[in-house]
Amino acid sequence: MRRSLSIGGFAWASCAALAISGFFGAAAFANDRLIELAKDPQNWPMPGHDYTAGNYSPMDQINTGNVKDLRVAWSFSTGLLNGHEGAPLVIDGVMYINSSFPNNVYALELSNPGKIKWQYKPKQDPAARSVACCDLVNRGLAYWPSDDKGKTPNLILSNQLDGHVVALNAETGEMYWKVENSDIKVGSTLTTAPYVVKDTVIIGSSGAELGVRGYTTAYNVKTGEQVWRRYATGPDDEIGIGDDFNKANPHYGQKGLGLETWEGDAWKIGGGTNWGWYAYDPDLNLIYYGSGNPAPWNETMRPGDNKWTMTIMARDASDGMLKWGYQKTPHDEWDYAGVNVMMLSDQNIDDKDLKLVTHPDRNGVIYTLNRVNGDLVRADFLDDTVNVWTHVDLKTGIPVRNPEYNTRMDHAGKDICPSAMGYHNQAHDSYDPERGLFYLAINHICMDWEPFMLPYRAGQFFVGATLSMYPGPKGDRASYLGLGQVKAYNAPKGNYKWSVMERFAAWGGTLATKGGVVFYPTLDGYFKARNSDTGELLWKFKMPSGGIGYPITYEHDGTQYVAIYYGVGGWAGVGLVFDLQDPTAGLGAVGAFRNLQNWTQQGGGVLVFSLDGKNPYSENVNLDEYSTEIVTDGT
Amino acid sequence: MKTTFRMTGAALAGALALALTAGSAAAYDGTNCKAPGNCWEAKPGYPEKIAGTKYDPKHDPKELAKQGDSIKAMEERNAKRVENFKKTGKWVYDVSKL
Repeated sequence: MRRSLSIGGFAWASCAALAISGFFGAAAFANDRLIELAKDPQNWPMPGHDYTAGNYSPMDQINTGNVKDLRVAWSFSTGLLNGHEGAPLVIDGVMYINSSFPNNVYALELSNPGKIKWQYKPKQDPAARSVACCDLVNRGLAYWPSDDKGKTPNLILSNQLDGHVVALNAETGEMYWKVENSDIKVGSTLTTAPYVVKDTVIIGSSGAELGVRGYTTAYNVKTGEQVWRRYATGPDDEIGIGDDFNKANPHYGQKGLGLETWEGDAWKIGGGTNWGWYAYDPDLNLIYYGSGNPAPWNETMRPGDNKWTMTIMARDASDGMLKWGYQKTPHDEWDYAGVNVMMLSDQNIDDKDLKLVTHPDRNGVIYTLNRVNGDLVRADFLDDTVNVWTHVDLKTGIPVRNPEYNTRMDHAGKDICPSAMGYHNQAHDSYDPERGLFYLAINHICMDWEPFMLPYRAGQFFVGATLSMYPGPKGDRASYLGLGQVKAYNAPKGNYKWSVMERFAAWGGTLATKGGVVFYPTLDGYFKARNSDTGELLWKFKMPSGGIGYPITYEHDGTQYVAIYYGVGGWAGVGLVFDLQDPTAGLGAVGAFRNLQNWTQQGGGVLVFSLDGKNPYSENVNLDEYSTEIVTDGT
Repeated sequence: MKTTFRMTGAALAGALALALTAGSAAAYDGTNCKAPGNCWEAKPGYPEKIAGTKYDPKHDPKELAKQGDSIKAMEERNAKRVENFKKTGKWVYDVSKL
């Protein structure tokens, strides 16, 4: 029996509104157009669905009772074979699709997805491909709903691997403006999804594996004008550190550390790029994201804590100033780039109603902080096989290292868990506010690590470590299987309600729904649905190629659809994509995923599912027909 | 016995000092902070500063300056594009045509 989609959605919205009012008083959300769009189940207007980045839908037409009847409704091939990360956007009956390099953008009308509404195919410098560290991926688009349509159209924002940011007319696909954000000649690329806050678009950076000093930039969407640019390392004014930085937690560090925790000018090539995900709290006007790994990976070449790489950053959206910053991995020795998803929730922990940000980090720890002031509330291991830390001291915020697993020159580190890929990578996870559970797509990979010296040359790889990766202790090391997990995490309790091993890394991410179903793709090409409460596998579908994006869901003409990119690749799939054989190639990924080729091959596109495969053509078989007139010979 | 004891004591003290030094470095766990947010320590046998040691990467200042120079040039070109866009309402990417 199908439950009412509209009632479910309305009921959830009301409950959520009541809960927010009850906890924190009336929230001033009303005027933000993107927030309003996200409330309508017909839209999926930004990465993570709404500013909480919870990847949660209040729809329940598809639920635990009927998800077994999910079938393909329609599909679209991008014609590209590199990894497809991210997810489409859906706004006002149109789906916007991003692709791997050369970052084509497609718009499809949901009422007739068989016809392409418009397409944007940028001509990029092919040299960009040679400076991308980990396949030629792109993590998605952003949408800006116009407030002055007579002057500025609705816009789609797209980042290109060659470092350009383009604004496209959402109605026509015509380029509206195009700026240079990153220079591939110095190794700087763009793979992150743009992020719209008010009338600005926030752009990250990629290239720490080539020594790129990370920076974040805000552009005025109406003009392309740079509003602010802030760096991860260097002088305080360039990082955006003022007098009130870390006021509530001075023990995290405050002024001067962007220089003092580096030797000489190493901060100029010190990494800290942010190519991951964002969240935004409109009440606090703070954006949340993580800065990445310091460069090079060889730790001996950069003494110091290397601030403010590896940091959860809370920046004022208007001027980019850092309100607070918490460095999760001081002096990284393992490439635990700290760029992973940030999910906002309001929960009661230790008898306190708190505004929280939760972040599953590459370093094997899932952090929950008070997003108002940066207080560390929880720091739990993503798996009990983490061995680089003994624990995180909640009072000081310091992760206490286990010296046995540190890395250094003239030393071959063995059996280090997690590996450089982290126990969690770029997967965009989800949070179910009714169940109070985070659904985490996790890696289970360990490594051996041996550093080497190398010079810095702008635009060339600047890593300095040789890696071998293999399954964690719970996997099958003889056959290189058991490289991933999916878990349901309860932050207040600090425990996992359920968990399940996966054959390969769960690289893409999860979608949680009110219908009690959690969806996620697997690297080996299955698209799965599990019971949110129990983890029971309810449904799966074998896709044309492995999945490294995250699912979304939307309603169109009364039907709930679930969409997912297929297209194996990314760092985990780099051996398959480029046909690499050396197990240490692909920064160590090739060895770990040597058996992936036995389950999936390359492809690229979107799959859309619905109950019984209901779609515009099943409702009207003549839709999009060139002719309905059949000429016969009269017999 | 006393002498022996003293010698043993000295030896013990020396050994203890060594053990403490080595122990402290070997046990680098990130908790001995010089200042808030500044907790890195050199590992045993590795230098506090790498300049002039075998681990000195001897970075070329010209290479180190390239990123900053590139960003400055991009910002200047973007500013010209925006200025023209604001004036004309048309986006021209090629700055040589502005």
